[in-house]
Amino acid sequence: MMASTTGVRGRPSRWMRGIASSVTSSLSGSTALSIGLGLIALHIVLAIVAPWISGHDPISTDPSVALTGSTWSHWLGTDQYGRDILSRTLNGGRYALLVTFLATTIAVSIGTILGCVTAYADNWFDEVVMRVVDALLAVPSILALLVVVTVFNSGLWVIVLAVTVVYAPAVTRVVRGAARTVITQDYVTAARARGEKPLSIVFREILPNVTDVVLVEYAMRASWIVLLISTLSFLGFGANPPTPDWGLMVQENRTALTVVPMGALAPVVALATLVVGLNLSADGLSKSLGIDRAQKGAVS
Amino acid sequence: MSAISVGTTENIVQVDDLSISYSVGRHDVPVVRGVSFAIRPGEALGLVGESGSGKSTVARTLLAHLRRGSTIVGGSVTVDGADVFSLNDRERRALRGGTAAIVAQNAGQALTPSMRVGRQLREALESHGLPGGHDRVLELVRHVRLPDPESIIDRYPHQLSGGQQQRIAIAMAIACRPRLLVLDEPTTALDVVTQAAALTLIRDLAVELEMAILLVSHDLGVVSTMADEIAVMRDGIVVEHNTTAELFAHPQHDYTRELLASVPRSRRAEIEADTTLDKTEVVPVVVAQDLVVRYARSLPAAVDHVSFEIGLRETLAVVGESGSGKSTLAMAMAGLLPAESGSFAFHGSDGLEGDLTKPVAGRSLALRRSVQLIFQNADTSLNPRRTVGAAIARPLRLFTGSTSKDRVAELLVEVGLTPDFASRLPAQLSGGQRQRVGIARALAAGADLIIADEITTALDVRVQAGVLDLLTELRDAKGLSCLFISHDLAVVRGIADRVAVMTGGRIVEIASTEDLFRSPNHPYTRQLLEATLDPGMTELPGVDDAKQTWRDADGWDDHGNGHRTRRWESA
Repeated sequence: MMASTTGVRGRPSRWMRGIASSVTSSLSGSTALSIGLGLIALHIVLAIVAPWISGHDPISTDPSVALTGSTWSHWLGTDQYGRDILSRTLNGGRYALLVTFLATTIAVSIGTILGCVTAYADNWFDEVVMRVVDALLAVPSILALLVVVTVFNSGLWVIVLAVTVVYAPAVTRVVRGAARTVITQDYVTAARARGEKPLSIVFREILPNVTDVVLVEYAMRASWIVLLISTLSFLGFGANPPTPDWGLMVQENRTALTVVPMGALAPVVALATLVVGLNLSADGLSKSLGIDRAQKGAVS
Repeated sequence: MSAISVGTTENIVQVDDLSISYSVGRHDVPVVRGVSFAIRPGEALGLVGESGSGKSTVARTLLAHLRRGSTIVGGSVTVDGADVFSLNDRERRALRGGTAAIVAQNAGQALTPSMRVGRQLREALESHGLPGGHDRVLELVRHVRLPDPESIIDRYPHQLSGGQQQRIAIAMAIACRPRLLVLDEPTTALDVVTQAAALTLIRDLAVELEMAILLVSHDLGVVSTMADEIAVMRDGIVVEHNTTAELFAHPQHDYTRELLASVPRSRRAEIEADTTLDKTEVVPVVVAQDLVVRYARSLPAAVDHVSFEIGLRETLAVVGESGSGKSTLAMAMAGLLPAESGSFAFHGSDGLEGDLTKPVAGRSLALRRSVQLIFQNADTSLNPRRTVGAAIARPLRLFTGSTSKDRVAELLVEVGLTPDFASRLPAQLSGGQRQRVGIARALAAGADLIIADEITTALDVRVQAGVLDLLTELRDAKGLSCLFISHDLAVVRGIADRVAVMTGGRIVEIASTEDLFRSPNHPYTRQLLEATLDPGMTELPGVDDAKQTWRDADGWDDHGNGHRTRRWESA
């Protein structure tokens, strides 16, 4: 059994490539992950090419065609200002995706580094950071965001930073837990015995071994953040009209729900598929990476 | 190779031409191929082999248990007259724990941590419809010779020692008077003294209850003292099956011979002339005086006023049971724990002077380079996300400032691997190969002193022999000094120049290897030596469960030639 798994596969591979290959290999094995990543990819591609394929200007108003049903020129109809719903839906993901990408990346990066560092430090620094984390976790995220947006403005970076502050603590918690199990391993002890600098131990020994946890965390947080951003827009604190945005569109069109149901339904479907995609990926990733890890354990 | 079977009816276990395969993806890998054997009541069969030889898979079929993904390809397993794979769910439950019982490797994990052991014993009885009264539970505890049964049954598993846990596990297994007891590496997690006592208990119970025993182990010493017959397995095939005495006297198969030859033995008749004496007279590399190491102020010292020296090119072995403080000593020497008091000096071959009481952060680069650590568990000592080459290149760059592919390749060849291993990940290596990489990493930057902490415990005997040979060879070639931590006296005898025996954080006896094995003075040393099982021994030593028969007294007795024993009085 040993021989078959440790066979001669003498190709040079670094850990990043190792992760990449384990993701691609689990793609073939996990339907959930394939569908999830497919949905995300579809959303990203549509968001990028939206200005060229949408056909209508998403913010130009035309009172003569307001609140029409499906027609040949407006496939999904128009809203109360005569704006094309399909064009607005296609363009509406751009804002949410950009904010989600930025906020998730920053929150997960900060959380990961803080988690690894505090797990390794295990001293006053760990205590201070974790108590701050506790305090931040106690604040309801939507309320905190509303306060921030009300005090400052609803600019892109304000929202990104506010979301980061809200979600980085949770990531810190999770990654710290994973890192603490890595720290007990002998290769970390070996690095300590060599007299490696703490930061070198964190980045060389610990970080590569929590990547799977971080990946799953990324997909999961992204799905929460995209919902949060849309909620903000729905409440009127996110994207400013007339920017096309899903949350904003639902809010604008909910009064006309009986007249043009597509006005509210189309952005909801778009948002739902993105969130389902992210959740499926998180689920598939955690399963395939988890099983991957268990199999390695069983072999060794 | 045919099984020794006399009259099928009286056998409790009858395994005929059993083949099992395990599916990996779309492939079926045969893990057991045509295995046959039989066990009569009151008899013990030992199943010996390396990890992955299929011995545990075979053992578990006797309880109608198959690992997920395995299928029976052919053959049959009959236990007490019933074909185990044609049983329905209810009959299978009756078989498990009723007719056949298993004692697993790690009793600490086999017992439920949140339940008092008395209740667990009662559960074992009641699940098979037996009365589970207080008296019955106490009787079971007495049966496995645990002292003070009344208080034992009210304890939780974590409040028991490893030996006591294993006894409770045995009590659970024999609760329903099984006809067959399957022991899967029953004593691997125990130290030698506890092991001897647990094995004696099992042997006596088997005779008393007329149980058949299947003993799975990689330890030939354990098997030879326990089993009437031994079957040697390799790659799913029984390569040799014979009575114990005959197997050790006249091994037929090459693999058996190889296996027997690679086992280190603690009771050796011949001791080759050693050059220990002139080694100890040169300047010591390490001098420890009254060294104390403590984990926390409120805890008793883990290493308690220990003094010793390690000479240039000398190997000092430290032996003792788990919890004796030997690993703590190694950690302190490596600078992972600060010493509380005492002196701990290092004198390098190139005139380097260092203070080993300081933790790593306070040590100079040269001192860190000189003192290197090899770990017990090669599986966890290498970063799974870094290639072997990167693992070896790191200390090279850190300590010498430069690294090259050629130097890494050179080091890999030195430890008996090939240069192309540099691009592999640890998961693609076997245990022995990983341990070799661990040695290469320790030697990369040119160490003077190697700390080897139980480096062979996780390895099969043949692989272990290879790793030990390599370490000895490199040590002699490079003139290294070595602190060798082990609980295995047989291994120590083969590699060490001097031995220090530790218990309760103190060294109780220190002597040259030859003197210690020839004339042990301290009662603990004697107990340790007596309890060690060597392959070929057919009698279990009469050792009681780690009972302390002495009290520490002040001062030391000197027996000359560096042989010193801590004074003691009988308790």
